[in-house]
Amino acid sequence: MKANSKFCALAAIIVMVILALPYQLVAGAKSSAANKSSKAQWSLQVDKINPGDVDLESAFQVAIYENLLDELGKTKQFKQVFRSGDRNANAKDVPNLLLLKTTVQKYTAGSETKRAVTTVSGATKLNVLSQLCARDGKVVLELTVEGDVHFFGSNLRATHNLAKNVAKKIKESTLPDPSPVASASVAEGAASDATAKRPLSR
Amino acid sequence: MKKIFPILVLWCGAAVFAQTPSGAVSAATINEVNVTQIMGFEGTAKNTKGKLSIQDAALQFQKSGDNPAEVSVASIQDVVLGEENRQVGGLPMTLGKVATPYGGGRVVSLFSHKKFDTLTVQYLDSNGALHGAIFELVKGEAESFRSQLIAKGARVIQAENKAARQNAPEVSSEGK
Repeated sequence: MKANSKFCALAAIIVMVILALPYQLVAGAKSSAANKSSKAQWSLQVDKINPGDVDLESAFQVAIYENLLDELGKTKQFKQVFRSGDRNANAKDVPNLLLLKTTVQKYTAGSETKRAVTTVSGATKLNVLSQLCARDGKVVLELTVEGDVHFFGSNLRATHNLAKNVAKKIKESTLPDPSPVASASVAEGAASDATAKRPLSR
Repeated sequence: MKKIFPILVLWCGAAVFAQTPSGAVSAATINEVNVTQIMGFEGTAKNTKGKLSIQDAALQFQKSGDNPAEVSVASIQDVVLGEENRQVGGLPMTLGKVATPYGGGRVVSLFSHKKFDTLTVQYLDSNGALHGAIFELVKGEAESFRSQLIAKGARVIQAENKAARQNAPEVSSEGK
């Protein structure tokens, strides 16, 4: 009889734990989601690719730009990813905006046929300087990234690999908290406005 | 014979009416080329084969059986030509070449490549956002298509910049 009552009590406890567990999980998930949504997130605008002094084909510049938009969108690290010149990315609607500037530093034109015939030569190589800047132009993050094609794939695949590497490096690096930087840049902007207005008042 | 004649007249009339609209479409279509859209054309997946055409004042890309995606020619900021060279046959050919003994695959690679033209179009959407689309065309077709786009009102920046760059050293040397 005693054993039977012990067994009943144990079963009741197990049932209670099982019933309570999903509620706890849901509550936990809800609180973590609330934390995430309350934390401000950066938005990003990808600027047009600057070829620098390198004689880079227009197709490569466009391919880097489009692949960057694709890959950075996939990371889900940014609230929104805007294209260059997008009027929706104005200061009023998107206060926490970073600008991604990409400058090509080195480019080695390759050949798919050379790669297929020799295996060791004909690689297409790209080396870029990526800068994440705040609205006031302050550089928040600076990276040097490479993208190559050594064996299989077309020459344009180098741009895909490069964009993937840029997105990966940005994801790995820690960005500053958006609110202080954004507010500082706004304050600096106001201050510079004030200094710019001062001579006029005299 | 009496029965066949009215049917023949009706059939001819129907054929004439059927011809008129398609004739009008072909007159409006300036040029149509088979292309592979490598990337960037809004509303189209990467590496899609289809037809690129200029319809009235729009650059249109249509995958067979799908609705066409189009961009206003006036919104085009730059049209640049390029030339690429790639291996044909895709993955099956690559595997075949790898499997060929005594390095025979390398010899095959020497002959299994194809040259093609690229047409890079940079345009702005309704929000002023910059897009870049790359198309792969059969060699020799891109030049005429580009000139037709320019004739329709597409802007060309790169050529102007290149001309400016070429002129710049002459000016500076004259200055010295």
